[in-house]
Amino acid sequence: MVFPTVQFAVFFPIVLALSWALMRRQNAWKPFMLAASYVFYAAANPLFCVMLAGVTLGNQVCARLIHRGEDARVRKRIVVLAVTLNLATLGVFKYYGFFATEINGLLDQAGLGLPIPLAAIALPVGISFIIFQAISYTVDVYRRVIEPATTIDVALYLSFFPHLVAGPIVRAKEFIPQLAKPRDPRKVAVGAGVVLIIIGLVKKVAIADTLAREIVDPVFGVPQAYAAPDVILASYAYAVQIFCDFSGYTDIAIGLALLMGFVFPQNFDRPYRAASFGEFWRRWHMTLSRFLRDFLYIPLGGNRGGKLKTMRNLMITMLLGGLWHGAAWGFVLWGAIHGTALVVEHQFRGKVRLPRWLGWFVVFHIVVLAWIPFRAPDLALAGDYISRLGDWGPATLWTPAVVIVTFLVIALQLAPARPMDTLRVRFEQLHPAALGASMATVILLVAATVSSQGVPPFIYFSF
Amino acid sequence: MSATNRNPFILDRPTGGRLSARDAIVCVFIAAFLLLLLEGESIRATGEKMDPGIQRTAVLAVGEPAGWLADRLPLADAADELTSYLSPDDDLSGEGGFNAAPVAGPAAAAGGGTGGAASAPITTDSFDPTELGVTTGKLPALKTLLVTGDSLAQPLDVQLARRLAGDGVQTVRDARLGTGISKVDIVDWGSLSTSQTKQRSPDAVVMFMGANEGFPFRDADNERIECCGPEWAVIYATRARKMMDTYRRGGEARVYWLTLPMPRDAPRQKIARAVNAAIDVAAQPYRSQVRVLDMNEVFTPGERYRAAQAVGGRQTIVRRPDGIHLNDAGANIATAIVLARLRADFAKLGG
Repeated sequence: MVFPTVQFAVFFPIVLALSWALMRRQNAWKPFMLAASYVFYAAANPLFCVMLAGVTLGNQVCARLIHRGEDARVRKRIVVLAVTLNLATLGVFKYYGFFATEINGLLDQAGLGLPIPLAAIALPVGISFIIFQAISYTVDVYRRVIEPATTIDVALYLSFFPHLVAGPIVRAKEFIPQLAKPRDPRKVAVGAGVVLIIIGLVKKVAIADTLAREIVDPVFGVPQAYAAPDVILASYAYAVQIFCDFSGYTDIAIGLALLMGFVFPQNFDRPYRAASFGEFWRRWHMTLSRFLRDFLYIPLGGNRGGKLKTMRNLMITMLLGGLWHGAAWGFVLWGAIHGTALVVEHQFRGKVRLPRWLGWFVVFHIVVLAWIPFRAPDLALAGDYISRLGDWGPATLWTPAVVIVTFLVIALQLAPARPMDTLRVRFEQLHPAALGASMATVILLVAATVSSQGVPPFIYFSF
Repeated sequence: MSATNRNPFILDRPTGGRLSARDAIVCVFIAAFLLLLLEGESIRATGEKMDPGIQRTAVLAVGEPAGWLADRLPLADAADELTSYLSPDDDLSGEGGFNAAPVAGPAAAAGGGTGGAASAPITTDSFDPTELGVTTGKLPALKTLLVTGDSLAQPLDVQLARRLAGDGVQTVRDARLGTGISKVDIVDWGSLSTSQTKQRSPDAVVMFMGANEGFPFRDADNERIECCGPEWAVIYATRARKMMDTYRRGGEARVYWLTLPMPRDAPRQKIARAVNAAIDVAAQPYRSQVRVLDMNEVFTPGERYRAAQAVGGRQTIVRRPDGIHLNDAGANIATAIVLARLRADFAKLGG
C-alpha cells in the first residue's frame, strides 16, 4: 500500500481511531497494530508477509539464545549466524539474479559450462529496511545495548507500517522502549504530524513526480535524444526528485507515527546545503549513515588503525552502502564516488581550507554528478548521458514550472532555517479542525497534479 | 563517517506543542470527511478501476456512498473546475472514443448470423505486398515513431528510442500504465489513439498492450459480456481495429502491434489467448499497413510459459517476476524484432 493513495486514505483513519481506542489495553492494541501492519504489507503481495514473519522469528530466536548464552564464543557464533542469515535472505531476494548473471558470464568466458540456475525472484518491497532493522535488534542484544523484547514487540518493531517499506531505519533501542507502556493520549504532536504529512505529500506528488514526468524520465531514458541544456537541467532535477521523493516518504512516515503517538528519528536535514561530504552524510538518509557507521565502519576498525586503514574502511563502507541500494554497477559506482570523496576529504582535513561557498559548490556538483550512474539504467547509458553534457543544442524540455521548482527546492535548502521554522511552528499551533481542513485542501490540490496513471511508487520502495 | 552519536528526533526541534489523541482523530476525520464530499466521485471511480479483491471491496465500501453523495452535491464539480488547471493529463473528451460510435452486439459486429451486416468489401489494404512478393518502390523515411500501449510498452519504448536516436527518428513514448482496451474508465483508447495521431502524426506506431485486459464489455443493448469467449473477442477486435485504422492514417503510416507472450498464471493465459486472437482478426483489413508481431512464438512457443530462454547462447531471464511483463533482456529481443520490421518498411534505418 502506498501512502498517497485512496486505499491508504481509507485504511489510515480507521487504524488511527482504533489504535487510540485500544491504546490503554496493550494486550489488545499490540495484536491489532500487528495485524494492521501485516494487512498494509500484504497489500503489495501477501507472500511477502511470510518473509517478514520468518525474519522476525529467526532474529527473535537468535536474540534469545544470545541473551541466555554465557560463553562469549557461543554468543559470537550465534550473532554471526543471525547476521549471515539476514544477509543471505537479502542476498537471495535482492542480489541472486545479479550475481548469477555475472558469475555465469565469468564461467562462460573461462569456458566452463556450469551455469548457475536462473530464477525470476520477486523483490519484497522494503526488504533492505526490514533486514537492517532486524540486524540492529540482534546485534544490539549481543552488544547488551538492549534486552531481548517479547516476540510481539519485535514483530511490531519490524512491521510497524509507517516505517515498514522505506524507513527511516529506526533502531530497536529507539522503538521498542516506546512499546513498553501505552502512548500518552494527552501528548500527541498533532500539528507537527500534520505539517510533516502535508510537506511530504507536496514533495512526493507535486514536486518529485512532476519532475520525473516532465524531464527526468525522458532524458535519463534516452539521453541520446537530448542536448546539453536538457541533460544539465535533468541532472539537477533528478537531484531534487530523489530528495523530494525519499524525504517526502519519510516526512509522511514520521508524521503518521506522530499522530499515533510514536516518534521516529529524523532522516534528512537539508542535505544540499552541505559544504563537505562528511556533512552531506550527516544530512542525507541520516538513519542509513548511522547504521553503516555503527554496524560496518566502526566494526571494520573505523579511524583507529591509521590513515590507510581509515581510507580502506571508508571505501568498503561506501561501496557496500551503494550496493545496499540494489544489485547494479551504477549503485556501486555511486558508492565509489562518495567513498573516494570522503577519503580525499579525510586526507586534506586541516590542510586545505576552502571558503564555505566554494566547498558547497564543489560538493553539491559532485553529488549531482554521482546521481547520474545511480539513476541511469546501466553504466553504458550513464556514459552516454555524461557525454551529452558537452553536446550543445536546443533546450526542448525547459518549462518555467520545471526550472522554478528545481531551483526553488535547492534554494530553500540554502536559505536560513529560522523564518521557515517560525512559519511551521505557527501553522502547527492551528486548531485541529483547521489543521484537518488544511490537510484536505492540500490533498485536493496535489491529487489534481496526479496523472490518470496514478501515483508512481516511491523510488526507495525498490531498495 | 564522523557522525554525531544520535540522530536528532523530529520533536527535538521547536514544534507547535502537543494536543490530545482526540484532536488527532478529529483532525484526520475532518480531512477525510471533506475529501469524501469533494472527491467522492474519484474514490468510487478508483475502486471501480481496481482488480477484484479485498482492497477493491474496502475502497468501494467508502467510495460508493461517497460517490452517491457527490452526485447529489455540486461540491465535487466545483472542486474539479477549480483544480483542473493542475491536471497533467491530455483532454480526451474529443472525438474518436469507443462510445462515440456504440459497439454493435457481437453478432452484428461480427457480421455473422442471419440478418447480420453486409460483408465489408475486401480492398488492397487487406494484403501485405511483401507477403505477396511484390516490391513497393521507394521506401518512405521514418521521422516520428510513436511507441504506446500499457505497462508492456516499457521498457520496449526506451530501447527503441535509444536504438533509433542515431537515425534522427523522433520517438514519442506514451505508455499508459494500468490501462486497457477493455478498461475504458481510466483511458478510452479510442479517444487516445485519435488524440495521439492528431498531435504527432506518427509515421509508425508500435503498440504493445494487454496486461490489464479481461474486463467485461457492454454491448449496444447494455448487456454485460464477460471475458473471454467469442462475443468478448468480437468487441475487443472491433475496438482494436478502430485504433489500427486511426493509427494507420488512411494508409500513410505503419502500425506494429505486438501480441501477448503467454503470461505465467492460467487465468491470465485465457485472457491473453482471447486478446491475441482478437488482434489477429482486427488487423485483417489493414494487412498492407498493420503488422502483427507474434511475441507468443518468440517468448512462449507452444504457449508454454518460461522465465528464461537462450539469448546469444546463454540462458537469460526475459520475464519480470510478475510473470506478465518482459524485463530488459526480453524487451531487447522484442526491440530487435520491431526494428527488423521497421527496416523492411522504412528507408535508411540503422539501430
